[in-house]
Amino acid sequence: MNERIRPTQAAIYAALLTISAVVMIYMGTYASAYYAPSVCLLLEAVLLWCGIARKLFERVLQLNQLTGIVLILTLWLGDALHLPKLDIAGVMLIGNMVSGGPLMAALAIPLLASFHFGKTLPDWFQSRGV
Amino acid sequence: MQFKRLFAVGAIQSAIICALPALFAPMANAASLTGTITTENGAPVMGAMLTVFNEAGNRKETVYTGADGSYAIHTDFGGKLNVRARLANFEDTTTTVQLAADQVSTVNLTVKHFASAQARSDALTASAHTAKLPWASAEQRTPFVSQCNYCHQVGNALTRSARSEDAWTQTLDRMQGYFAMLSKGEAKTFANVLARGFDGKPVDTVLDYGVTPELTHAKVEQWLVGDAMTFIHDTDVGEDQKLYGTDEGHDVVWVLDRKTGKIDSYPEPDINLPAGGMFAGMTLPIGIFTGKHGPHSMAQGKDGRIWITNALSSTLASFDPATKAFKLYPVPGDVLYPHTIRMDQDGIVWFTNVVSNQVARFDPKTEKFTVIRLPSNGLVRWVTDMLLPTIMHVANWFPHKNLPLDISTHKFLGHDVLNFPYGIDVDPKDGSIWYAKLYVNKIGRIDPKTLQVTEYDTPMKGPRRPRFDRNGILWIPAFDESGLMRFDPERKTFESYKLPVLADGEYEVPYALNVHPVTGDIWITANASDRILRFIPSTKRFISYPSPTRVTVLRDLVFTKDGRVCNSTSNLPAYGTEDGLDSFMCFDPDGGDKDKAAILAAKGK
Repeated sequence: MNERIRPTQAAIYAALLTISAVVMIYMGTYASAYYAPSVCLLLEAVLLWCGIARKLFERVLQLNQLTGIVLILTLWLGDALHLPKLDIAGVMLIGNMVSGGPLMAALAIPLLASFHFGKTLPDWFQSRGV
Repeated sequence: MQFKRLFAVGAIQSAIICALPALFAPMANAASLTGTITTENGAPVMGAMLTVFNEAGNRKETVYTGADGSYAIHTDFGGKLNVRARLANFEDTTTTVQLAADQVSTVNLTVKHFASAQARSDALTASAHTAKLPWASAEQRTPFVSQCNYCHQVGNALTRSARSEDAWTQTLDRMQGYFAMLSKGEAKTFANVLARGFDGKPVDTVLDYGVTPELTHAKVEQWLVGDAMTFIHDTDVGEDQKLYGTDEGHDVVWVLDRKTGKIDSYPEPDINLPAGGMFAGMTLPIGIFTGKHGPHSMAQGKDGRIWITNALSSTLASFDPATKAFKLYPVPGDVLYPHTIRMDQDGIVWFTNVVSNQVARFDPKTEKFTVIRLPSNGLVRWVTDMLLPTIMHVANWFPHKNLPLDISTHKFLGHDVLNFPYGIDVDPKDGSIWYAKLYVNKIGRIDPKTLQVTEYDTPMKGPRRPRFDRNGILWIPAFDESGLMRFDPERKTFESYKLPVLADGEYEVPYALNVHPVTGDIWITANASDRILRFIPSTKRFISYPSPTRVTVLRDLVFTKDGRVCNSTSNLPAYGTEDGLDSFMCFDPDGGDKDKAAILAAKGK
């Protein structure tokens, strides 16, 4: 791996993902379910640091956003929409936790925006040839 | 004229004498015991408890001695009866008497000092033992009072056995499966304090019940119910004056006919849920919560139906005392743990939903529910309130694994992450609905027409089951701070009172209270010290009535038309009580006097 060609943006986001993973590991020492998002956050940090598996990296971010948004909408509007609220919310909650949880949700927004509107991160993954 | 007056007086006297047997109709074969209770040196003792057990051992009646140590008890028990004298700080004295119908026997008893410090310590209340726990600060103790006394006494014979810190950690883990909301740090501190405090060494405390003359007029009756796993959460008195008890452990309603002593049980209809209902993902008190509904609280409607909140199945049930028929109504939405229930003047049913921070309204005529989401009081509580029903639902996919403990935010922050709307009552002045939020220290008002909600901070922590008096004053027990609060809804002002304790350093856990409809006195459960308290608002004075049963944990209090204050003893588990069973318990503030009058009348005959 060539440190000099890794963009600062990738390094910063990888660091933030790692810090988030550490926070989740700490929370996991209190309530073990939080180990699940920490594993995902670490995986994403590694993928970004190495610039590999862009599709997987992006899909995880998208899954996190999708499950988070559906979870909030279901909890908020589920009664009014006569949805099987708790079943949907339950699946979304599990999906959100395994795809990085709330801290991933916060980081996923700028990360996905970078992929969509910027070139730095796409070029970084492309330069790694994956 | 003179003759007429004499005739009239004589007629009244005759009527009273003739009416007395009718007054004591259930005691058609009533017998009586009289005598004195003294100490070893012959000194009479006031406020000692004289308890008579029936031959089967499933009923008991208690009176308190007067200043001269005398007592008189009138009972319909017959045969070979156990009699016990009990006085705080002294050893019990028991004897057996053979009592025939209509017999008056004299039994004098002497109470002695304990033979050993250990025996003396073993007879102390739970409050005396928990007072010795070595907390670093009052703040450290507050979550312990809130969470570890939530369903049962701590410090009684069952719960104070000496254990290592590891053993206490395991116990506390188990309790969290029963819904104790402890942060990791709190659990660690509690285990350490409990291991150091409950070391098996005798506790040296002198209990002072503050005996008052009122005590000598009172009588207590108990009817034991169910089995060692029964959990009669609440008791209500029906229009028929029978006592109804909801057994949350076994999904049945117990009905006691106080006149005959007959106890019946009526099981709720089955439902397509696992044992534990909506809480099947938690461990719950295994062997106790074997039911699916968890019948919790009751209120009788004008049509005679008794409405029951089913805490575990999130349903509302009606029970018709005439036909014994149940009907179930599933509460819509993400409602969890329907709790205290009351009827308003229009026959509308209102109840709190503790775990999901809601109050529900149900119209029996239209059979329509309206679920009102209450204010969240901060982002963390909003997240927890919104997510907890989902977490419980997911947990049900993995029964009895305690999954919520692995994800709930209370593991970081303790029980402060929740609201817990608990007790509820109806303002008799304007029909508004008021509730108490146990974990966020607020009371709230719901406008019954607009459903607009307004909340107020309470000056003391742990507002639990409030009740209105007839003047529209809300009385609130402060569970976490051994207190009683008075709230004037018109002026929006509070007054606070500390409950009397038996010795320095003790705390009290007032779970519920009720206001006597005639006298206006506030009757309060004092569950740490096996007492019921009576507060006289006009003089701001407390009267303390010790229970004849060790480990007396009382919940809702109700008043019968014949002047009794009734409830159920419902420690968790029932086998932790002195009798090993739950019971219906009725305090009659004038019951002792009634017995004395009945004995006099019998002698006159």
